[in-house]
Amino acid sequence: MKLYIKDYSTYKSDEEDIDIKKTLKQKYKLDTRRQDAFIHLGLYGAMLLKEKTVIDKDDELYVTSGIGNVDVVQKTNTRVYEQNQPLKLFDFINLLGNTTSYYIASALGISGKNIFQISDNFTFINTLISLYASINHSQKNAILCSIDLASTPNEVIKRVLGVDEDCSVVSGVNYQKFSLTKDDAIAEIEFDTLSYSFDEINNILKDNNTKVIFSKRCDNFFETYPSYIINDAIKNDEDIIFVDSFEDRYKILKLKSLK
Amino acid sequence: MLKTDNINILKYEINSSQGDLKQTLKAIKNQDIKVSSKGISTDFGDATIPFYAFKDEIKQNQQSIKDALKDIVSKVISTLDTKQKKSTALIVGTSLIDWHLVDAINGCAYEYKKTNYTSKKYSIDSYAKELASEFGLNEFTMTINTACTSSANAMLEAKNLINCGVVDYAIVVGLEVFSPIMSSGFYAMELISQTDIKPFDTNRDGLILGEAIGAILLGKDNSKWSLEGGFSNCNSATITSVGADGKECVEVMQKALDDANITTDDITALKAHATGSNSNDLAEINAISKVFNPSITFTALKPFVGHTIGASGVLEIIIFISCIDDGFIPKTLSCHTPIVQDYMPINEHKKCNGGVFMCNYFGFGGNNISLIIKKENP
Repeated sequence: MKLYIKDYSTYKSDEEDIDIKKTLKQKYKLDTRRQDAFIHLGLYGAMLLKEKTVIDKDDELYVTSGIGNVDVVQKTNTRVYEQNQPLKLFDFINLLGNTTSYYIASALGISGKNIFQISDNFTFINTLISLYASINHSQKNAILCSIDLASTPNEVIKRVLGVDEDCSVVSGVNYQKFSLTKDDAIAEIEFDTLSYSFDEINNILKDNNTKVIFSKRCDNFFETYPSYIINDAIKNDEDIIFVDSFEDRYKILKLKSLK
Repeated sequence: MLKTDNINILKYEINSSQGDLKQTLKAIKNQDIKVSSKGISTDFGDATIPFYAFKDEIKQNQQSIKDALKDIVSKVISTLDTKQKKSTALIVGTSLIDWHLVDAINGCAYEYKKTNYTSKKYSIDSYAKELASEFGLNEFTMTINTACTSSANAMLEAKNLINCGVVDYAIVVGLEVFSPIMSSGFYAMELISQTDIKPFDTNRDGLILGEAIGAILLGKDNSKWSLEGGFSNCNSATITSVGADGKECVEVMQKALDDANITTDDITALKAHATGSNSNDLAEINAISKVFNPSITFTALKPFVGHTIGASGVLEIIIFISCIDDGFIPKTLSCHTPIVQDYMPINEHKKCNGGVFMCNYFGFGGNNISLIIKKENP
């Protein structure tokens, strides 16, 4: 499967520590009320993308996350089960995954297809496969938003990410605009549904001359890290092979710069 | 738009408030519908709300939910061989709270519940991943959360994956289990009826939630039922509802017809979303009246099984096609004075053995979807 990348936006909290809510309000004049940090992070990435590229109202939107909006689950869990307090209305609304994708679609001016989904293994690649299958039918362009928020205490996130206790987790939001056509593309990405063992991967890569980056599920990690790696390679005008890993299985993303 | 092959509906099963598929069908035919109740916390103290609950409770924890899913999934894959299973994706549609997250939160956020650090990758999709592994299915799993349209969207995603050659088969699961948080949320939005669901009735006063699990096996093998097409979008003016004129719903229905390469004249009957809520029903009936002429046969299933949110996509399609296989389109309960005079849902079961049908799901968070299904007339 091959897709062309028309544009991208990227943010990773350990590289740039900014007040996202303040930036959304002051720079982008967005109404941030009734929303939470997870939604704000998604919106920030959307605004970075919108600054750089033309977005059509019929572009499809896929929003994915490693584990979703942990903060709001923790907040509602504490309020309802620990404090025996009734639920706050906007916490309930923000609890639903498609609330985040609704706000992102609204900010981008998209009124077409809009899916919020999570895949436990290979989150980014599986969403890429869904997106590819969808636009193969619709012949439209699609935007993929990959969002992970490191909340406090981040032990919650580390417990569900399956990483070591001393691993550092960070927040990241990364977007790409994908197309089936090469016109004006800045990169092409190839992927497939197969996963491999470590030995198989080594065999596949033995005669390869392209730079290979292996997934590291530690050190400034977030589950949709492959999305960041792709954007970073585009930024640096690099061709790369990214090997994503999950429970001793491996999948490959091949990125070729067209800039 | 590129027209691709339709996909067939091969096998299905449900667990609803009325029982399994056979029991649910019997309850609908006999109008012997069981509605129970649940207690929730509200701003005004504890309250009891009507609720369409499972006969045998599924507890709110990871293991109980997984066991219930396993039971349903095992039934729909019973005819697949090992090779076919390896090319079968599992896609879940739900708005369920992720109990993996809740357990992780409980294990470290509250001192009195603290447990030793353990790490294993979890997410709301873990149910699908674990079941795929246990049943020898394809590694591709996905959990879609678009509120009331979750499992309906999952069906369209599954269709695309099969048509694209990613997999040969897909199991689409709709899942919703009682949650005090979800029920309290709907209560806080003043959407819960204390009486009954009255779809498209001028006296409608809200919805009643329900729980259900349903699973559909999709593929290209021969079957009398097919998923012909559909369209999904997200374009409502506010996050909680579509506009009263229903223009967002009109667009979805018309584009679903286009996708299936048919017109309104081809539609035998329509299964409405019809929650019984004030704004949603008004928007939907206005949309139906703009797309179809008054002779359209349409009905609502929620008075039989409740609003099962993320499960409603799969659950209601299974119930609808099972009723038609049994020779009838089920009538709509409790609609006596229609919102739009010329557009009254059927108030008696109507004989029907096949045709082309539209199934609507117009949900919270701006997500709307219409699916087109077909059964050749015998």
